[in-house]
Amino acid sequence: MTAPATPAPVLDVWNLTTSFRIEGTWYPAVRGISFALAPNETLALVGESGCGKSMTALSILGLVPTANGRVEADGIMFEGRDLARLSDEEMREVRGNGISMIFQEPMTSLNPVLTIGFQVTEALIYHQNLSRAEAEREALALLDLVKIPSAKSRFREYPHQFSGGMRQRVMIAMALACRPKVILADEPTTALDVTIQAQILALLNELKAETGMSMIFITHNLGVVAALADRVAVMYAGDIVEIASVGELFARPTHPYTEALLRSIPRSDRDTAELHTIPGAVPPIHRMPKGCRFAARCPLAQDICRAMDPPLEPLDPESPHAVRCWVRGGHDLAALTEDANV
Amino acid sequence: MTDQTEALPRGVSRHPFVDQLAKAFRTNKLTWVGAVIFVLIVLVAIAAPLLSPHDPLQQNILHRLKGPGPEFWLGTDAYGRDILSRLLYGARVSLIIGVAAIGSAMVIGSAIGVVAGYYGGKVDLVIMQAMDVLLAFPALILGLIVVAMLGPSMENLIIAISLTAIPPFARIARAPTIVVKERDYIEACRALGYGDLRIMTLHVLPNVLSEILVMGSLWLATAIRVEASLSFIGLGVKPPTASWGGMIREGFENILDNIWLSIFPSLAILLVVFSLNLLGDGLRDAIDPRTRSDA
Amino acid sequence: MLRFTARRLLFAVPTLLAVMTMVFVLVRIVPGDPAQTILGDQASAEALQIMRERLGLDRPIWEQYLEFMGGVFTGDWGQSMVTGKPVLDEILRVLPYTVELTIASLVIGSLIGIPLGAWSALHRNQWIDYLTRVGSLLGLSFPAFVSAILLLIAFSIQLRWFPVISGGGRATFSEWALSLALPAINLGLIMAAYITRVTRSSMLGSLGEDYIRTARAKGVPMRVIVWRHAMRNALIPVVTVVGLYLGILIGNSVLTEIVFNRPGLGKLIVGALGQRDYTLLQGLMVIYTFVIVVVNLMTDLTYGLIDPRVKYQ
Repeated sequence: MTAPATPAPVLDVWNLTTSFRIEGTWYPAVRGISFALAPNETLALVGESGCGKSMTALSILGLVPTANGRVEADGIMFEGRDLARLSDEEMREVRGNGISMIFQEPMTSLNPVLTIGFQVTEALIYHQNLSRAEAEREALALLDLVKIPSAKSRFREYPHQFSGGMRQRVMIAMALACRPKVILADEPTTALDVTIQAQILALLNELKAETGMSMIFITHNLGVVAALADRVAVMYAGDIVEIASVGELFARPTHPYTEALLRSIPRSDRDTAELHTIPGAVPPIHRMPKGCRFAARCPLAQDICRAMDPPLEPLDPESPHAVRCWVRGGHDLAALTEDANV
Repeated sequence: MTDQTEALPRGVSRHPFVDQLAKAFRTNKLTWVGAVIFVLIVLVAIAAPLLSPHDPLQQNILHRLKGPGPEFWLGTDAYGRDILSRLLYGARVSLIIGVAAIGSAMVIGSAIGVVAGYYGGKVDLVIMQAMDVLLAFPALILGLIVVAMLGPSMENLIIAISLTAIPPFARIARAPTIVVKERDYIEACRALGYGDLRIMTLHVLPNVLSEILVMGSLWLATAIRVEASLSFIGLGVKPPTASWGGMIREGFENILDNIWLSIFPSLAILLVVFSLNLLGDGLRDAIDPRTRSDA
Repeated sequence: MLRFTARRLLFAVPTLLAVMTMVFVLVRIVPGDPAQTILGDQASAEALQIMRERLGLDRPIWEQYLEFMGGVFTGDWGQSMVTGKPVLDEILRVLPYTVELTIASLVIGSLIGIPLGAWSALHRNQWIDYLTRVGSLLGLSFPAFVSAILLLIAFSIQLRWFPVISGGGRATFSEWALSLALPAINLGLIMAAYITRVTRSSMLGSLGEDYIRTARAKGVPMRVIVWRHAMRNALIPVVTVVGLYLGILIGNSVLTEIVFNRPGLGKLIVGALGQRDYTLLQGLMVIYTFVIVVVNLMTDLTYGLIDPRVKYQ
C-alpha cells in the first residue's frame, strides 16, 4: 500500500456492505467490497442487473432508502473524511458538490414540473455562494458545455420538451455544475439510441479530460467499457469477482463469469447464432447459496466452490489483477480440499 | 404476490378475493376493528326486539325530554319515547335501506359496466356518457329530488340512493372488463362458441368481483350517510317509525332543551359509517396494486 | 392557455344540454298535476285550466322543451310558482351565500389537508401517520349535519362563542365573519379529511419518483425537496380530486345551511321541494349544473397551471 508511484486515491472504499430488510431479515445486496479510485481515472463496474453495482453507487452517496436499507463500511474515504460517518447535513454538502451522480433514466430522473434551467441552477445555489443571476449565467454556460443547441432559448423549457439524449445532457450538466471530483454514472446511456449513446460517451470522455475528474461508470455493456474505462471491476451477486485494468481484463479474463460475459458480447464479425448466453440466473438476494455464489452456473465448479466462499486475491503478489475464484485464482486446490476434509 | 394470483385463469382454484381478504385482515388491524364493530351493529339490529328495554313507539307525556337516567338509559324524546329502544330499531332502517340500495346498485351498476366494457364502441360511449351526466350531480341533491318527487317511503329511499350509486359501480366494473376481455382465455371462450352472456357472467364478472365488493363496503357507508341526511331533511321513512336521521331532526328541534336527543343518534350514525370506512379502506389497500410493492 | 380554455368550454356544452334535458324530463314525469298541487284540492276546473295555461302546461311537449331551453340561455327562467317572482332573481339573491361558504370551506380544507397529508406521508408508518389516517377516515365518516350539530352544541350552546341562529347577517364585517365561521369550519373540516387522504397518497407516490432521488443527489435540502420538488407534482392529482369532491361539498352545504339556518341554494331547494315549486326547482337544477361545469373547468385550468405538460397536449 506504500508504493510511491501510485497517487493517493480520491475515493477509497473499504469493506462496504449494503443490506436490505425483507420481512424482518437483513440480506446483503453488496457484500463487503473494497476498491480505490485514482485521480482522473474511470473505473467501470460491470455486471448483470441485480449484482449490486447501482447499489454500490447509491451507498457511496448515502442515497439508499433508510426505511429498509442499511449501509455499513470500514470507510468510504473522500477528501480526508469518511462519508459513512457524516451527518445528514454534511452528506448533503458532499452530494452534487464533491461527488455527483448521473442516473439511468433521463425520462423520469428530471422533475417534469420544473424548468431545465431551474434544475441546473439549483445545484449551484445550494453549494456555491452565488446570487440567482450568477447561478443562472453559470447554468447557461454548463448547458453550452454539454452542447445543448440554443441553450439560451431553451433555458425556460420543461423536460418533456427535450429528447432523451438532450435530457441526459441536462443531467450531465447538473452533475458537473459544481466541478465535482468524482462522478458516479449509473448506466447513463442504456436508455438511449446507439448513435446518441456514442455522442454521450464521447462527451463524458471529453469532459473528464478537461476537468480532471474521476468517474465510476456503471454498466452491463462491455463494449462501452472498452471505449471508456481505465480499470474494470466485474461484480456478481454483491461481490467484486474480478478487478483489472481494461487491457488486462480483455486480454486475460480469468474469472469464469468474466469469460462468460465477454463471450456474450454481440460482435459483427461473428455469426449471431454463436452468441453465448450464461445459463441460469443470479440467485435471489434472500436465497444465496453457500460457497461461491456463481458455482451453480459455473462450468468449472468443484466441490470446494460449493462449500467455501473464495477470497478476492491478486493473481500474483505484484499484480493489480485480482480474482475471486478457487479454480482460476492460483490456489492449491488439492491442499485446500484436504484442509476442508480434516 | 398479488400479480401472481391475478394471472390465475378462472375456475382453477379459489378466488383471489379470498387471499386479498386474508391479507387485509393480516396487515391492517383497523380492518378488524371496523369488521367487528359493523358485525356487532348488525347483530344488535337483528336482535332489536330482544334488546330494547321499551317499546320504541310508546309515547308517555309524563316522561318527556328526560336526560340519561336509570329508567331510560339514554333519555326520552319530546313524546316521552325511549331513545335507546328507538336507536336499536333505527339501526334496522339504516341497514335495510343501505344494504338494499347498495345491493341493487352493485348488481345494476356492474351489469351496466360489464356490458359497456365488453361491447365497447358506441354502446360503451352512450352508456358511459349517461353515467357521467348522472355522476355530475351531487349524490345528496339527486337523492333529494328523487325522493321528493316520488314521495318519502322506504322503497323510494332505496330507489333514490341506489340511483346515485349506480354510476360509480358501472365505472369500476367497466375498466377491468376492458382488460380482461383482451386476455387469451376469453378469446378461447369465444372460439368455443360460448355466448356473450355466458362469457360475461362466468368469465368476466368474477375478475372484477373484488373491486366491486370493496367499493360496496365503502358505498354502504355513503348510503347510510345519505339516508340519514334525507331523513334529517324530512324525507325519510314516515314517522313514527324510528330512523336515526329522523331522530336527529327531532333532537335538533329541541336542541336548546335537551342536547342528548341529537347526540346519541349522531354517534350511532358515526359509528356505523366509521366502521364501514375502516373495513372498506383496509380491503381497498389489500386489493390496490399500487400499495403492494412498497413494503 | 386561451385555446385550452375555449376547447374545455366547448366540451362542457353537451354535458350542460344533457343535464338540462334530464331536468326537463324529470320535472315532467313527476306524478300529479302541478296546477292541482299549487291550487290545492278545492280548486275549480276553470281555475286549474287557467293555471295550466299560465304554466304553459297546455302546449305540446316539444314547444315547452324549446321554450325552456331557450329561456335558460336568454336569462328568462320563468316565475316561481309560489312567490311569483322571477326564478333567476330568487336564485341570484342566495347564490353569494352558497358561493362564499363553498370557497371558505375549500380554503379551510386545503390549508389543513395539504400540509397534514404531506406531513403524514413524510412520517409514513409512524404513529403520526396512523393518527392522521384514522383521523381523516373519521372526518369523512361524519354526515355534514351531524358535525354541524355537534359544532353548534359545543361552540354556540355550550361556549356561546357564536350566535345559535346566524341567519347569514352581513351588515358589518364581524357579523358576516361570525355567521360564516361555523358553517365554513364544519364543511372545511370534512373537506380537509378528503384532501388529507389524497395528498398523503399522491405525496407518497411523488416522493418515490426518480426525480426526487436526482434532487437528493444534487444536494438539495430536504425541506426544498418536499415542498418544491415533491409537492408540485403531488398537487396534480389533488386538484383533480378536489374538483370531484366539490360535488360532495355542494351536497353537504344543503345540510349545513339547514342546521345553521343560513340562506343559500340548499335551503332554497329544500323549500322548493316542500312546496312543489317546479319552476324554481328547474332553475335550481340548472344553476347546480352550471356550477358543476364551472368547477370542472376551473379544475382543468388549475391543472394546466401546475403541470406544464398539459398545455401542449
